[in-house]
Amino acid sequence: MTVRGVPQAVISDAVVVDRVSMVFNEGKSNEVEALTDVELVICPGDFVSLIGPSGCGKSTLLRLIASLLSPTSGSVLVNGKSASQARIEQDYGMAFQKSGLFEWRTVEKNIELPLELKGWGKAKRRERSAEMLELVKLSEFASHMPWELSGGMQQRVAIARALAAHPPLLLMDEPFGALDEMTREHMQAELLRICAASQTTVVFVTHSIPEAVYLSNRVVVMSPRPGRITEIIDVDLGSDRDEDTREEAGFYGKITAVREALRGAEAVAGPRGIEDR
Amino acid sequence: MILRGLRRAALFFLALALVAAMWEFYIVVGPEKGGEIFGMRILPRANERAMPHTWEMLQRLFDPEVRGQDRPIWLAVLGYSWYTFRMALAGFAIGCVFGMALAVGMSRFRFVERGLLPYVVASQTVPLIALAPQVAALGGNWGLPKWMWVAALGAFLAFFPVSIATLKGLSAAPAASLELMDSYAASWWKTLTKLRFPAAVPYIVPGMKLGATAAVIGVIVSEVSTGVRGVGFAALTYAQKATSDPAQVYTAVFGAALLGLSMFGLVVAIEVLVMRNRPAEAN
Repeated sequence: MTVRGVPQAVISDAVVVDRVSMVFNEGKSNEVEALTDVELVICPGDFVSLIGPSGCGKSTLLRLIASLLSPTSGSVLVNGKSASQARIEQDYGMAFQKSGLFEWRTVEKNIELPLELKGWGKAKRRERSAEMLELVKLSEFASHMPWELSGGMQQRVAIARALAAHPPLLLMDEPFGALDEMTREHMQAELLRICAASQTTVVFVTHSIPEAVYLSNRVVVMSPRPGRITEIIDVDLGSDRDEDTREEAGFYGKITAVREALRGAEAVAGPRGIEDR
Repeated sequence: MILRGLRRAALFFLALALVAAMWEFYIVVGPEKGGEIFGMRILPRANERAMPHTWEMLQRLFDPEVRGQDRPIWLAVLGYSWYTFRMALAGFAIGCVFGMALAVGMSRFRFVERGLLPYVVASQTVPLIALAPQVAALGGNWGLPKWMWVAALGAFLAFFPVSIATLKGLSAAPAASLELMDSYAASWWKTLTKLRFPAAVPYIVPGMKLGATAAVIGVIVSEVSTGVRGVGFAALTYAQKATSDPAQVYTAVFGAALLGLSMFGLVVAIEVLVMRNRPAEAN
């Protein structure tokens, strides 16, 4: 298997996307070619962002990795297994733009949901949810209802839920897209801390350039019509990123690099909404 | 909390007093022999026999059912109402279980919904008064006690709103939550019990409110046509004596009203219980 960026993909890779194409409504008049010939290898411990304008297929790619969709052609491996097997074995946790917390469950019961589905006993579940709440610093809200929490806190609960079963992989689809800028930056720092503490590999969909650059060690730039990867930019801002990192020249340099990569993609496909903030 | 309760109680009695006042007002101003509007006899007669005074109705509650008895009629009516209440409650419970099960079946398989829904709707157009004797005869053949088939007829009316509300509610779960359950590879049954059903509760509760009152109506109507001696049957017997004892029939009406309110109160209690941890806008 020869994959762009990494010459030899090995079975221990966290995610291997091998020549994947995705066509919706194939053969019908409303046929859409969402992804064409996408290849991507993600190593354990990587934080990879998928960035690109609307319609570039970044969410589709995430859903293919999650096995919520099946590719029209090509294959996806997660943890060395087929994506569908990885889903059945709950090898990944997922978080969306909407926290998707169940409003009839307390915060801790929400975090315990994936554990319930795995058939864990009550005591073990409670122990784990307490641990997760401590990780996201919401211990005192264990027995609150989700709607009593702010948007940022709800999103932290959703992350705790996604990580509750200690999956090696975390898939996130614009998880901070609905938050205000201050909360968003705070959440980004929190996410880095949580992922470092739990040693989780992350695939992160966003359309904010600074967010992608701040969080990732690799930014995957995509372009639409048909959706494909145009460039992969390595970012190395160091593991001790903090608020000052956002002021550094290296940070701005990478933002420019990603922006230019996106412009290059745009030159091919025409302009679309990308957040420059 | 207490203040709100007091205000609601005060409003309830105020409304009751208003109805009584309107009743009395009509007795004073209404035409003695009834009246016609556009050639149709619409206005009820305002004489003593057709419209007894409210205080006469209240007084009547403390007189015996038949002359010579010691027991005041309110006790007798309360007994009838209690009997009807239990049948309506059984009917309501059966209707809820059946209605929800039907909705789950319909939401699980589209062909069940397509095939069954027209019949579910059509079932509600069958006049109960025609159906009741048939069901009674059938129940008689099977050797079931009478109250059971009256309860079954209550269930026949109660299941419909519960079923439609549940069907609507089961499809109300947010797409993101369904995708989440999908990402856990959760089975259909787990998705139903952990997500779809809890998400349907705010829809089911109003359906249950309609179902509870429908069960009461179903049971009372069925009593009349099958001769089970509950409050509906009592109302019918009392009405036959309306010329000599016009206030008596209203004691049964009070009993039926009390019964309806109790059923409704029961569902409200259930609502408070199941909705206590929901966000305010869903309440």
